[in-house]
Amino acid sequence: MAHTNSSFCGSPDHGVSRRGFLGTTVFAGATAFAANMRVMDALKNPCLAAELKRQQKSVILLWLGGGASQFETWDPKPGRLTGGPFRAISTDVPSVQISELLPKMAQRLKTTAIIRSLNTRNADHGGGTRLMETGRAMEQAVDYPDLGALIARELGRVDSQVPDYVSMYSETEGRHKGGAGFLGARYAPTFLTESMIPPNIRRPDSMTEIDHQERADLQKLLAKRFADKRYDPSVASHGMAYERVRGIMASEKLFDINLEPQSARDFYGPTQFQEQCLISRRLVEAGVPFVKVARAWWDSHGQNFETHLELCADLDQGMSALLDDLQQRGLLESTLVITLAEFGRTPHINASLGRDHFASAWSCTLSGCGIKGGAVYGKTDEDGQKVVDGEMKSGDLFATIFEALGIDHKKEYQLGARPIPIVDFGAKPAMEILA
Amino acid sequence: MSTADPTKFKIAKTARVKGIALCITQLPGSQRLVFGSSDFKVYELDLAAEKPQPVEYTGEGHQSYVTGIARTADQIVTGSYDGRLIWWDTQKRAPLRSINAHEKWIRDVISSPDGKVIASIADDMRCKVWDAATGNLLHTLVGHQAMTPHHFPSMLFAVTFSHDGQLLATGDKVGHIAVWDVVSGKQVSELEAPVLYTWDPKQRRHSIGGIRSLAFSADGKLIAAGGVGTIGNIDHLDGPSRVEIFDWATKQRVQEISDTKFKGLVEQIAFSNEGNWLVCAGGDNGGFASFYDAQTGKVLHQDKMPMHVHKFVLNDTQDTLYASGHEQIAMLEFKADPPPAAPTAPTPADVTAPSN
Repeated sequence: MAHTNSSFCGSPDHGVSRRGFLGTTVFAGATAFAANMRVMDALKNPCLAAELKRQQKSVILLWLGGGASQFETWDPKPGRLTGGPFRAISTDVPSVQISELLPKMAQRLKTTAIIRSLNTRNADHGGGTRLMETGRAMEQAVDYPDLGALIARELGRVDSQVPDYVSMYSETEGRHKGGAGFLGARYAPTFLTESMIPPNIRRPDSMTEIDHQERADLQKLLAKRFADKRYDPSVASHGMAYERVRGIMASEKLFDINLEPQSARDFYGPTQFQEQCLISRRLVEAGVPFVKVARAWWDSHGQNFETHLELCADLDQGMSALLDDLQQRGLLESTLVITLAEFGRTPHINASLGRDHFASAWSCTLSGCGIKGGAVYGKTDEDGQKVVDGEMKSGDLFATIFEALGIDHKKEYQLGARPIPIVDFGAKPAMEILA
Repeated sequence: MSTADPTKFKIAKTARVKGIALCITQLPGSQRLVFGSSDFKVYELDLAAEKPQPVEYTGEGHQSYVTGIARTADQIVTGSYDGRLIWWDTQKRAPLRSINAHEKWIRDVISSPDGKVIASIADDMRCKVWDAATGNLLHTLVGHQAMTPHHFPSMLFAVTFSHDGQLLATGDKVGHIAVWDVVSGKQVSELEAPVLYTWDPKQRRHSIGGIRSLAFSADGKLIAAGGVGTIGNIDHLDGPSRVEIFDWATKQRVQEISDTKFKGLVEQIAFSNEGNWLVCAGGDNGGFASFYDAQTGKVLHQDKMPMHVHKFVLNDTQDTLYASGHEQIAMLEFKADPPPAAPTAPTPADVTAPSN
């Protein structure tokens, strides 16, 4: 199906298509940055730059590492032996019910589309993670970038002074950095694990602030003199790299939630995940295009219901606060919030009252930017054993995500002589859930 | 008087059932068992039958897992994750009374030894004490924290009556035990068993475990608390089955049993009436039953069960145990050998006439 790149976060009044503007000038690898330099003159136009900034979109991925149960979240099967003990509750969208473990999200489904028909066929943690991170099966010849790197590449601003891709993964189980693959290190994540402040961005103690500033000023002066007489994109790229480093060094405060009023911190809640949701809002507000907040570890082979009682409470509070906050700040229409994992969990309840790995019929959600809130895509059978309508593969999900953000899912990168589609071959977006 | 010998433990009979049998009781003077299931229903099963078949209780029943069952003088009462208690006529197998008892998931329902009082516990962290005959609420016992120290919802898993019916004990997810006076509804003691709660702060950042079973000794002086010990990988129930025994009046832990032979949760405990042994059952993906010397904690006998055991009930002579669990009901016997017959006076026929 042909799809033109015309939708932008449900805001049809956007007169300038930033993606269209940039999309025709991007190339893979080392040429990409140079290509972007061609638009620098355009960015000097204040009206255009403001318009581009207004349209700045972001993604927050809530990664439910280990595999959350679709039965205890987005696709309950009450009254069935496979359904477990929890009820389905009504939501603010008539006819749509979700698990009673997500009561706050039940009142916010108007912002959110549920996909209940993922059939990704890989129920191994490593393989499933890689599949759902990149949107396609591994291939020996190509190191594919993950979603964060792709979004950083597509939505990252050339003049940005904040990181393009921040990934928080505090638990050690299943911790996986992800990567930029063939897009190169420029789009690799700032990976936060032990501390929520990025490491190695502080000025060395051996250097005073004055020294640091004077060195920067001198570098700027010399660089400007050099660049004034040369119109080589690589020179501009060199200067931008310095600016970017300075920006990232100054971005430490973005990660410091102590700078938030106590009322805001209370609004999100006290757990680590909830605090990271608050950090993610601070980051997208500052222009970071992709933030991943990993909340591991849902791998409930034993005591599935108790595990979900805890983790769903954490997710429900953190996610609902995040959506509310983004909405109140006018950021939700430009921010796509995703819940996703490597797979779901089995319909069968084992003897430890656990559920095992299951990739044949599971769920995820998309909220905010470009999404038709309240929509439900796909359907599983009455026991949740298989998809009976709207089967979606990882590539289809990626195509849907890109289209929600106004990125043409048919776009290709060029890796040497080989064109690489941005989503897997044949993948199609679920237009039914796009605004 | 017990006629039990734990070393004679054997599986006497099993019956397959649909779903997970989460709780069980025995109807008096019979092998008729009533159990609650993960299919939201209550069933009766007569193990005396040649081919036992579950018979469903009918009428408006529960809407979630049936997790607790108690026998009163002439009825049974079930509790469920739907928050309701239902009184049932065991002859008609039909409901008599339904009460919206708790705001969250009911974890267990038990009756006092005389069957006159019912206690229910739920994740609203309350223990409610009911008049078994009228269904009137007598007390609401509040003494467990709603949230764990790590900001997650806590759970109230275990409850037991003392043998004289004067005391109740309740145990929660983080290992806190409260002891209550049934008549006044006042808390009289509290105990801590934190090893039964595993919080993983780093690898998986959630918890597992909790106090899953409680039992008073027959003299009421001791309380045993069961669950699972510290688990490395909390994705599974891969920790030692664990029992801690307390002198609740002095708050001293007098026994600590950490058993690595059979791993997983100790789902139920019972002391012998003589106080010389206690029996525990539970499991991980499999099941076990273990008998320990109540004084020394040493294993008297232990064996695999055909399924993870969720609950059991002992018969009056404490030599037979009926267990409910994953897709099965099982009857276990551990009857002592009958004492050798006393010598009897010889009958005339036995007397050989002297030959002369």
